[in-house]
Amino acid sequence: MIIDFICAFIGTVAFSHLYNVPKKHYMYCGLVGALGYLCYCLADIRTSVTFATFLATMLVVLASRVLTIIRKCPITIFLISGIFPLVPGASVYNTAYYFVINDLEQATVWGINSLKVAFAIVLGIVFIVSIPRQMFTREYWKIWKVQRKKKKVVS
Amino acid sequence: MYNGKIIREEKHNDSQMHRVLDLALKAGRISLRNGAEIFRVEETIEYICRHYGIEEMDAFVLSNGIFLTAYSEGKEVYARVKHVPAGGTHLGIVAEVNDLSREIAAGHVTLDEAYKRLKEIEKMPAKSAVSQIFAAGIGSAVFCYLMRGNVYDALFTTIIAGLLQAGLVFISQYKVSKIITNILGGIFITLCAILASSIPLPFEVNLSNIIIGCIMPLIPGVLFVNAIRDVASSDFISGLVKLLDALLVFVYIAVGVGCVLGAYADLFGGVMI
Repeated sequence: MIIDFICAFIGTVAFSHLYNVPKKHYMYCGLVGALGYLCYCLADIRTSVTFATFLATMLVVLASRVLTIIRKCPITIFLISGIFPLVPGASVYNTAYYFVINDLEQATVWGINSLKVAFAIVLGIVFIVSIPRQMFTREYWKIWKVQRKKKKVVS
Repeated sequence: MYNGKIIREEKHNDSQMHRVLDLALKAGRISLRNGAEIFRVEETIEYICRHYGIEEMDAFVLSNGIFLTAYSEGKEVYARVKHVPAGGTHLGIVAEVNDLSREIAAGHVTLDEAYKRLKEIEKMPAKSAVSQIFAAGIGSAVFCYLMRGNVYDALFTTIIAGLLQAGLVFISQYKVSKIITNILGGIFITLCAILASSIPLPFEVNLSNIIIGCIMPLIPGVLFVNAIRDVASSDFISGLVKLLDALLVFVYIAVGVGCVLGAYADLFGGVMI
């Protein structure tokens, strides 16, 4: 598991380098990717691949959104590199492979599998992205706390 | 005399407005070209226009074009359409333009300074070819290992993916269609992987693990994620275009890999995997 974590970290950093991410963000990109993959591995033990991908994607997007506020840069930087370990490369390959050797049954199984995983990624991103931006800033929660106290006093 | 002065002033104002809009358009074009989402581009244009005092403006951004009109009381109506051809991905530039637009909105940057900085940002170099090759090699090898390949698979993956990235860097200088690039990439990977797995070695090398690892540099990650984010923010036209683009790239890769694998199976009888 630790080796997997380190591998995912290195892989994410390598691909963020390919996308020309500034050097100062490498650490965080790698961390996001590795956390996502770790979550995927842990969830994969008890649930299906699709659901594990969904959970991992949610974690990745959440982490990226928090980092966006802290590091003050576009979310794209963390999100794209962080999603990379979750992309269903192997299932796509298997689909093409079984398709070519005329095992259509297996090809369909893998094809639908990769579509499911892709859709899980879509849903994971959409869910977290649609949380309003204000909720990720510290001021929002300060105001929220003050308001809650006021309500308690009134009641 | 008096009239002349007024006219000159108006002209000055008009040219000022044109310069602001040109700046906004340029900033939008640069960030769109380098892999920003639609709403970020619209926001950038709006920030810049609003800060430099343009009262009414509308920007309509597609995945490969920007439409911008602006109107201020008593001045010309300004309208521009800008075609933005797809470029490489450079997230550093996206971040820089984003920073610049924030600073403009906060009022720290004058118009001339903004022009100058935008020019500098546009010239920001990509990472050097050698480091890209190394990154692709190492990244692919690591993913090969994560997909349950062994160390020897990963070793071969490093070499093949490095070669592939070298080819991609070379081919990106010319305007080659995505179809050709990805199909050729798939064919190249598979040929190399078959070669590697057929060398008689004391240890076992798995063909499919190598291919899975080497595919990684070809996968359109930016396109896919941006497509989803555009759809999520209701920019359906651009989102669907990008999604289709990403799916087609997957298909091209599969075609490239599939062709060679099929031919190999036919020629040497299904001795794969």
